[in-house]
Amino acid sequence: MKNRYDELRRSSWSMPEGKQKLAVLEEMIRIADQYMTEEDAYHARISYFTAASEAGAQERMITAFAWCLSKYDQSPSMYSRHELMWYYKWVIGMIWRFPVFSLMQIEAVFEDFKQRCIEYGYSLRPYYHKRSGFLLSRGLTQEAAECYKQWRGASRDGLADCRACEQNAFGHYLFAANQLKKGMQAVRPILDGKMSCHSIPQATYSEVMVPLLKLKQYEEAIAVGKKAFRVIKGPQFIEEQGVFLEFFTVTDLPKAVKIYNETIRYGLESKSSWERLNYLLSVRFFLREWHKKKRRKKLVEDGRVTLAWLDQEIAAAADAFDRRNGNDYMQTYMADKEKHMNRMIDAFQLQAE
Amino acid sequence: MKNMNFQVNLQGVIDLLSNHLYSEPGVFIRELLQNGVDAVTARKRLGHTFDEAVKVEIYSSHNISFTDNGCGLTEDEIDQFLARIGGSTKRDDQDSADDFIGQFGVGLLSCFVVSEEIVLITRSALEDDALEWRGKPDGTYSIKKLKRQVPIGTTVYLKAKPEFEEYFEYYRVSELLEKYGQYLPTTIMLVEDKFERTINESKPPWLLDKPEAMAYVEGITYNKPLDIIPLTSLIGGVNGIAHILPYAVSLQDEKKHRVYLKNMLLSDRMNNILPPWAFFVNGIINTNSLRPTASREAFQENDLFFAVRDELGECIKRYLIELADRDPDLFRRIVLIHYASIKTMAVEDDELYALFVRHLRFETSYGELTMAEILRDHKELLVTPTLDEYRQVARVARAQELMVINGGYVHDLDLVRKVTELDEDIKVDILNTLEFANQFEELDLEDKLTAQPFIDQSNALLEDFQCRALVRWFEPADIPVLYNTNQDVNFFRLAEESEQQANALFADVVRVIKDDLYDVPYAKLCFNYNNPMVRKAMEARDPHLRKASIELFYTQALLLGNHPMGPAELRMMNDSLLQFMNRGLDGAEVNR
Repeated sequence: MKNRYDELRRSSWSMPEGKQKLAVLEEMIRIADQYMTEEDAYHARISYFTAASEAGAQERMITAFAWCLSKYDQSPSMYSRHELMWYYKWVIGMIWRFPVFSLMQIEAVFEDFKQRCIEYGYSLRPYYHKRSGFLLSRGLTQEAAECYKQWRGASRDGLADCRACEQNAFGHYLFAANQLKKGMQAVRPILDGKMSCHSIPQATYSEVMVPLLKLKQYEEAIAVGKKAFRVIKGPQFIEEQGVFLEFFTVTDLPKAVKIYNETIRYGLESKSSWERLNYLLSVRFFLREWHKKKRRKKLVEDGRVTLAWLDQEIAAAADAFDRRNGNDYMQTYMADKEKHMNRMIDAFQLQAE
Repeated sequence: MKNMNFQVNLQGVIDLLSNHLYSEPGVFIRELLQNGVDAVTARKRLGHTFDEAVKVEIYSSHNISFTDNGCGLTEDEIDQFLARIGGSTKRDDQDSADDFIGQFGVGLLSCFVVSEEIVLITRSALEDDALEWRGKPDGTYSIKKLKRQVPIGTTVYLKAKPEFEEYFEYYRVSELLEKYGQYLPTTIMLVEDKFERTINESKPPWLLDKPEAMAYVEGITYNKPLDIIPLTSLIGGVNGIAHILPYAVSLQDEKKHRVYLKNMLLSDRMNNILPPWAFFVNGIINTNSLRPTASREAFQENDLFFAVRDELGECIKRYLIELADRDPDLFRRIVLIHYASIKTMAVEDDELYALFVRHLRFETSYGELTMAEILRDHKELLVTPTLDEYRQVARVARAQELMVINGGYVHDLDLVRKVTELDEDIKVDILNTLEFANQFEELDLEDKLTAQPFIDQSNALLEDFQCRALVRWFEPADIPVLYNTNQDVNFFRLAEESEQQANALFADVVRVIKDDLYDVPYAKLCFNYNNPMVRKAMEARDPHLRKASIELFYTQALLLGNHPMGPAELRMMNDSLLQFMNRGLDGAEVNR
């Protein structure tokens, strides 16, 4: 079985991110659980974390993380605490994106993370960082602003995201809090190519699209769109790809079709989440425009992804969030998005092809 | 308020630039060559006519000199540019179309990597004074006027630091001059004692015609390339060739394109000047307008850079599209050798997809076939997302006359799914292995009744393993059972394991994921009524024997399909085997 394990591991190295790679890693974990040491099983799961989130299956990452966390607690000297906390940070960044978790559950996880940071001597910077995102997603602007202040005030240590990622996150917060110009200022060093990392500037491109359009900086929006089209790929970026799907729907329909055809299966495969809801909103916008004309070309999955189906999925997901959050913020959120899309049509005048 | 200037530790800065900016000590040759060529260019701009040349002379005890007959420097210029780090005579017109190679004003510092002192003798084309400048790595320098007359131009003298003598030997200098300056337009001479040699006599490869280029590439790589693709980019002022490698390269290999900036070698291992999908070619490229980084070993990756890269990619694409018509044999050979590369390309690019996909080979239930062969007889294709799922169904699918393609190899799933774009009549579905057995022939009522107790017993036995049984009649008869899982089964087991192990907080979290986000994925064990062993087991009266047979069928199916077995499953296999052995061996004794 060790042979099989090694063979799987070898093949996983050359696989692109996605479901297939996950399947291989899951089999490895099963083999490690049954025939190898606990340490092997632990490390097999660690490599699964990245693969799962790259495949857009964050819930699988959380599942495997739960196992590692308990093994760590049982024998803290066996495993790297830093590594574990690093991934724990991912977990608190993801968990609220699934409406199936109750507020109580999410708060308890945040609290556990916080207590561990204090106990292990880490700064609470990542805690406030992730928490501000959670608060914003519920429309709690006031509390989020408070949290953002604490985030900027807490010291940076090894657990913080890299500088480029944080700079991007500042932008993300400011945009979400509707402070567009300040946000643009924050991400300027990234757009100028002065800061970058594994996921920056790719992630920044999608952040700035909507603000740029709102600020009526159309030229720059087009330039960013062109660049982003080249670099954003893969199932973990469906929300981002949605942003460009919207944009190209009004500026370059064939490109929009290409994005749709490439990404829709990721959208279908992913579990109900914040990303998926946003992506489906973009898809609905695209399909509405698409169906304004009679067309010969067929889209991928056209039997399943219909406007009626989208309405239903979107309503169900938004409702799930609102019920979880105990408010109706998602309705405001979607109305705002709708308004933006219409503004975009007005700005670019849907060209007749 | 007082305005202050930053204080800079000069020695530190010089050390930083000279020892850490460049990847190897030999670059001082490049920097000196470049200064020489740029000086010549500048003098030509003044309207002078002269036999432009750069002369490199090697003396005893590891001294060398670099002499050019370019524009030289005045005292002011020395002050301004030579002695000021980051200043450059060539910087002013950075954005205009310029003929200079350098621009940063740090090139000369690279000499401090190999030499303790730089001595520079120069006479400007604008003045008669000959000047001597001596610079040291601690940041001090001196200038004096020379009494003797020197011709217009500049000479740099260097003496090797200990450990760097090698870079002052004839063979090494000659090698480096050739490497960097082989194709420079200015004559470059290397002199030792009375022996003189011109370095740059050959024609640059990007100006060669095809047979010449083929011979050239064969000469430097010892491999005859499959073909030469001319590369041009107007916006990047690029001329070049891409030679198609006659052997397969791994996706993970670092690409090594040779790139020249205004005929001077910039890097012989640049990996990103051609699009990443083009890994079946190596490029030799000269550009006039891309901007180098300060270390001059790469380009600044600005918009222009990417535009040029796209344009070069376009050249390769056009070539391939034409080649398919012009020389189908060569085209097929290229496909055969560069299979992996071409697959990656085809996924990324629609045009290339249309061009290549019919030539690509896939593993199918009918054997290995090209897409053209697949489409000849089949318009309805099934594709499995993983190799495991393919293996589970391949043999049976063939007997059912289903065209099942293995999408488990890198890119194959995407390639097959896209095939509907070729023709609207083609239908591609992803095979759901769990439902695969449902389409087999059902038993008639009587047989169903016979089989039912056996199936019920199987379900009861296998419930704990999340497996459900059914029975069908299918070909081939020699397969007793078909065990199908889908991808979620392993994840589900993983989730159960997590739920058991996790602390209370996370056990709850995992339970929500498992119960609310996923359905329990049952594996399927389909018994083949067409198989004599299965019939025999179903007809057995003894419930213990039936149990043992079911357990044996199940565990054998796991083994055959390479599925990992848990301790309970292992025990099950051993117990059932033992039971048969006991029966057989004890029975033999009874009979005796």
